[in-house]
Amino acid sequence: MQPETIPFFPAPVPGQPPRPRVPRPERWTMDNGLHVVAAPRATVPQVVIRLALPAGSAGDPAEHPGTASLVGHLLTEGTTTYSADELAERLDGLGAAVSASVGHDYAEVEAVFLTETLAEGITLLADVLLRPSFPEREVERVRAESLDAIVGREDEPANVAEDRAALEVFGADHPYGLPAFGTAAGIAGVPREVLADFHERFYRPTGAFLVASGDFDTAELKRLLDEAFGAWSGAPPAITYPAGTELPPRAGKLVLVPWDDAAQSEIRIVGVGLDRRSPDWFAASVANYVLGGSTITGRLGANLREDKGWTYGARSSFQPGVVTGGWSAETAVDVGVTADALREMIGEMRRMTEGLVPDAEIRRAKDAMILSLPRLFETPSGVAGRFVTLEAYGLPDDYWETYADRVEAVTAEDVLRVAERFFAPERTVRVVVGGMAEEG
Amino acid sequence: MSTSISSSIRIPSTTRVLGNGLRVVAHQDSGAPIVTVHLMFRAGSRDERPGRTGLAHLLEHLFFEGSQHAPKGHFDDVLERVGGTNNGTTWLDRTNYYETVPTHAVEVPLWLERDRLGFFLPILTGEVLELQRGVVMNERRQVYENRPYGMADERLHELLFPDAHPYSWPTIGYMRDLEQITLDDAREFYQTYYTPGNAVLVFAGDIAPERAFELAEKYLGDLPAGPVLETQPAPPLPASPGGVREEMEDDVSFPRVHQAFAVPGYGTPDWIALDVLAYLLADGDSSRLQRALVRDGRLAQDIDSYLYPTALCGLFGIVGTARSEIEPQALEQAVRQVLDDVIRDGVTEAEVTGAIRRVRRDLVSELATMEERADTLAYAATVLGDADAIHGVLDGYANVTAADVQRVAATYLSPDRAATLVVIPGEEEEDEEVRDAA
Repeated sequence: MQPETIPFFPAPVPGQPPRPRVPRPERWTMDNGLHVVAAPRATVPQVVIRLALPAGSAGDPAEHPGTASLVGHLLTEGTTTYSADELAERLDGLGAAVSASVGHDYAEVEAVFLTETLAEGITLLADVLLRPSFPEREVERVRAESLDAIVGREDEPANVAEDRAALEVFGADHPYGLPAFGTAAGIAGVPREVLADFHERFYRPTGAFLVASGDFDTAELKRLLDEAFGAWSGAPPAITYPAGTELPPRAGKLVLVPWDDAAQSEIRIVGVGLDRRSPDWFAASVANYVLGGSTITGRLGANLREDKGWTYGARSSFQPGVVTGGWSAETAVDVGVTADALREMIGEMRRMTEGLVPDAEIRRAKDAMILSLPRLFETPSGVAGRFVTLEAYGLPDDYWETYADRVEAVTAEDVLRVAERFFAPERTVRVVVGGMAEEG
Repeated sequence: MSTSISSSIRIPSTTRVLGNGLRVVAHQDSGAPIVTVHLMFRAGSRDERPGRTGLAHLLEHLFFEGSQHAPKGHFDDVLERVGGTNNGTTWLDRTNYYETVPTHAVEVPLWLERDRLGFFLPILTGEVLELQRGVVMNERRQVYENRPYGMADERLHELLFPDAHPYSWPTIGYMRDLEQITLDDAREFYQTYYTPGNAVLVFAGDIAPERAFELAEKYLGDLPAGPVLETQPAPPLPASPGGVREEMEDDVSFPRVHQAFAVPGYGTPDWIALDVLAYLLADGDSSRLQRALVRDGRLAQDIDSYLYPTALCGLFGIVGTARSEIEPQALEQAVRQVLDDVIRDGVTEAEVTGAIRRVRRDLVSELATMEERADTLAYAATVLGDADAIHGVLDGYANVTAADVQRVAATYLSPDRAATLVVIPGEEEEDEEVRDAA
């Protein structure tokens, strides 16, 4: 096309943004202590249910890291009502997807049902959660699969960097320092009885929560949940976490894990973050958005990708937790520019601590965070995810309704204060998996 | 609230063709105050020539480098400021660019697309090309070369398709070809394919169709039509007579077996039946391959089957990772056994019903977002010729029978049509050091 033949006209000026429509779910606590959040939304004939229990790897028996993860994977491998094959046939026949994932803090089962199969689906979901039978045959199979998965995971430099970074920040004595899926030794050695015992103790309704979103009638949901979960009772043992620290033990150090013939170096710069309930969470989020919250336009991405062309992307994030989580910046670059990339990343972090971020950049970060709210609540699974966050980290019920105001209240001084606390390079550890010719 | 994804899945839309040939498709859903604006070009890696592979995808990167009035960095910046997101992807048959914004900012992406379509060439310099060449080479390293099994798909395509077939090379391109791409190549590709007549513009979300058409006319209606592309005849379905098989080494701990078959293209009745077969074989713990290889046979850690929705022909694939101590041949034979069983004895109606329900579950999940709906409509318009033709595909699933499933398995998944690639563990070693970096 010939530019000179096309008239230019000026960029449009957007009007008033729509008011973010944040769903206001109905909440109740069942007699047995199970907390329920119901956010009906009839856009698609689907119901997404997420049931989470404080039964993550933080509750692993010390001698068997990986117990919580194995228990989660075995939930759908047979119950006292159905064999593993029968259960699979029933769920697949309904067109349902039920899967467990186990993190450091929570074990969570996500169920996606077509609306027309909700009643039968909830009955099966309760069976899976309350009555797993841990059949010997399936335990041994899942154990072997888990051990293979651990070996296979180490084939990928990005995974090695990820796991190493967590260990450097939290150490082996903190649950966040180890992968939630445990260790090979722990998984190989844990007896079936320990798995059943873990389920017996930790899979209790008190402290657990269920979030439902999608096309359902709330009164009907309430009836179905009472029927399926009403007889469940009890409370799990409390999990105690080690006292937090401000600094990783190897703060200021570079950990280099050589990787023969690596096509790229995986780089992680990691440190201790902050409590998810901290009033500083919003300032920290704005600061992080400016530094690396967006993989192309953040300062890290703008420098390493858009200016230098060294990488496909660079980003940074705070990791939430029930107790203080971590912060990390990550990228993967040409092996030959590893040292240069580290230097540039450190430079960008340092720059965040050396003066106020210009107002325009702060405005952009705030707009991006606030105006994207409608998109976050677009789908049933999006809605469910937003409310799982509130329940998991003990955030106030009006969190999403007041989110925009809290982001708006962050000042440039707040951003500088949190940047000094979290982005000062000497407070972080550098992990490189790959190669590095000379030191950065 | 809208319920356009009803129990029979519908994505109703209206189409209008502008004077310059641009097809505009509008789908209204007011569930959330957002709109996706999606621009798809019938231009993919299949439109490259050998020696210049990776060109379509590199141009996608360049297309984000700005235009005359929206310079470098502007595209992401201006969209983020209004709470929007954007991305672009390149595949075998098409390239797409899409932006999702809150309703108040719907004109912003249209203005940006106008500038890119009208005022792109002035910013396309050697410097910009060099920079994005570097980014793409790093994308290739990060996503393919530095990832376990990352090179398998590339090799599988080379095995399944003859050298000159436009699906035989990878979308990301070969490293040696990426090095060769010139500014003239990029300009020519842009001028040939990035024209209104070769594009579909879809609006999906909280916007009335009339308003969508008005905005399309305002921002893109006066762009010159550009050359009309001639439709290339589809090459015949490759048959790999006798089957082909190869082993390749990689830095991995476990062998992985890939099998691929060339099948009819997206949206045909046989493609739909093959999609049901893919679910019946490996989606869910009760599916045939999961049961035979993972749960009962205990040969594989994982097994998956998939079907590409590509235009010239589909690609039906099966991929599984062996468990430790298991020879890949055992896994390969077990997969063949399952396929032979289906071909010889057929499947049950109950299996088909469950598989169709699981297809429906995934369709409903995918189509919950305006981005996916826009993409789906744009792809139907591009590949099937009409956005509304998507309903023929969605409705087609309900008619699939056990006999259909057996027939397509027998017709397309016979051993003599298979391309098999076995990835064999090579060697690796690791060590570490700690340095003072402060």
